[in-house]
Amino acid sequence: MSLLEVKNLCVSFSAKGKEFAVLDNVELSVEQGSIMGIAGVSGAGKTTLLRTLNLLQRPASGKIAFDGVDIMSVSQEELRVLRRRIGVIFQSYNLFRNKTVARNIAFPVIIEGVNKKKALEKAREIAEELELIHRLGSYPSQLSGGEQQRVSIARALITNPRMILLDEPTSALDPFLTSRILRLVKRVNSVHGVTVIIVTHDMSVIKRVCDQIAYLEKGKMVFCGPTHDYFSEYYLSVSHDDHAAEQLEKAKKILAENGGNKLVRLVFWGEAAGEPILWKCSKGLDVSVNILYGEIEEFKHGPFGTLLVATCGKDSAEFLRRLSGNVYKMEVLT
Amino acid sequence: MISELTRATLESLYMIFASGLLSILLGMPLGIILYTCAGSKRLASVYRVMDVSVNIFRSVPFIILILLLIPVTRRVTGTIIGPNAAIFNLTVAAVPFFGRLTENALNTLPRGVSDSAQAMGVTYRQFVFMVLVPETLPDHILNASVLLINLVTYTAIAGAVGAGGLGQLAINYGYYRFQWNVVLYSVIILVLISQGIQLLGTSLSRMLRK
Ligand SMILES: Nc1ncnc2c1ncn2[C@@H]1O[C@H](COP(=O)(O)OP(=O)(O)OP(=O)(O)O)[C@@H](O)[C@H]1O
Ligand SMILES: [Mg+2]
Repeated sequence: MSLLEVKNLCVSFSAKGKEFAVLDNVELSVEQGSIMGIAGVSGAGKTTLLRTLNLLQRPASGKIAFDGVDIMSVSQEELRVLRRRIGVIFQSYNLFRNKTVARNIAFPVIIEGVNKKKALEKAREIAEELELIHRLGSYPSQLSGGEQQRVSIARALITNPRMILLDEPTSALDPFLTSRILRLVKRVNSVHGVTVIIVTHDMSVIKRVCDQIAYLEKGKMVFCGPTHDYFSEYYLSVSHDDHAAEQLEKAKKILAENGGNKLVRLVFWGEAAGEPILWKCSKGLDVSVNILYGEIEEFKHGPFGTLLVATCGKDSAEFLRRLSGNVYKMEVLT
Repeated sequence: MISELTRATLESLYMIFASGLLSILLGMPLGIILYTCAGSKRLASVYRVMDVSVNIFRSVPFIILILLLIPVTRRVTGTIIGPNAAIFNLTVAAVPFFGRLTENALNTLPRGVSDSAQAMGVTYRQFVFMVLVPETLPDHILNASVLLINLVTYTAIAGAVGAGGLGQLAINYGYYRFQWNVVLYSVIILVLISQGIQLLGTSLSRMLRK
């Protein structure tokens, strides 16, 4: 079931009396309990999209349904209640400077009318989980970036939200802290069933934690679907991935120099990524296979591999026919 | 003479702090309303009207404001001389001033902090009293000390038209009888009052800034 359904979303800003569109007919569907990554280059409109999802930014047109409720038609009061079920972790943390860590974390439940003592107790529990317990009495200005971030995560989780929105949660962190935060996000998702939307321009974050990816390009949603599909279909074949493009150029050069008649890109996904498929498919055939480039990565749902191979020999065609039935995606490039 | 100086000092202090208190109590809400209207598309026209009114009040020189207010002052306080009349005049002049100071202080709340409060689903009241004002509190303390020091000066000006206090004492003895020592004592006391307020404001604000 989808928890969040966005249709035909358009957002525009006006500057010097001129309107310009930042989001153009964006469609998005986020499954209950899943982790969705929103990616795109800087200025693509990722933050704007995230802000629009709980109406911090009012869209020019479109429809947003959260848990079956059209949030654009609800009253202010209902919107407040709705927002309390969506935790937001901002790009710049946005902690309250004049409140202690404990008060910062407890704030969302205090405004719900929970009594202070209980609220602070709950804040303590969450702080314990996020290893902030020794910092409860400090003020945000006394914390490191990573600690501030954990406070903002704690603050978003204290209300037991249905969904959390994270804006670039790892952009300011070292690899160690990044791993830790991503583990935490995964745990919150799997243990508490919280739906997560995570904005990032870091593809490795997407690969490690996201079930789905939505890719924004100049305000348009150019892809929205499972992570491995994005990486096998879209990401590999478009020019914006410099790394892939470079590998392809190199491979073409090698092919031109050494001869060979086919250049093929193979994508493995899941268990198949571990099998000796090239060997299996070439058994008994007059074909020689030259591996030009290969990579295997650990995605959230299993290994994901790509291979760039050149083949020659009179049974090349048969080899490729067998291969196509055994890999996730195959693309004959020349 | 000492008894007269003491009386005048007390009178001045009474005027300064009474009008200061009133101005803060009225100017603070004015500032919050200004901030709220400025941030809302729906209230944009209300903001423009209030903005201009505040500017008009602030650009009328105080001594002229006192003259213009004479009929109103008489109605409200029953007299146009003495400390109470002066407190009314001072408050009328200081409320728009403090309202503007408050608005400026509230504007220092980072947009992101206000966003994160909205995203948590705060009510307007919770936003004002639990986020907006507490987060900018050190600035309001500094504003209050600026206000009070301004009121020290303005109280002395009001003294010229019969408000009483140190200003009037200095004018009576210095301007009309050339007793400069009284003027000197008055000035010293006024300076001490200002210094005391500033010191208190600065240290309190520093203590509250985290
Ligand atoms: N309040 C605003 N007023 C005017 N223009 C804005 C506003 N907010 C964002 N924009 C513009 O909208 C576009 C998208 O901004 P947005 O912050 O959504 O990008 P982003 O994808 O989050 O980028 P980044 O990765 O750098 O955070 C940018 O061109 C930006 O200048
Ligand atoms: Mg952004």
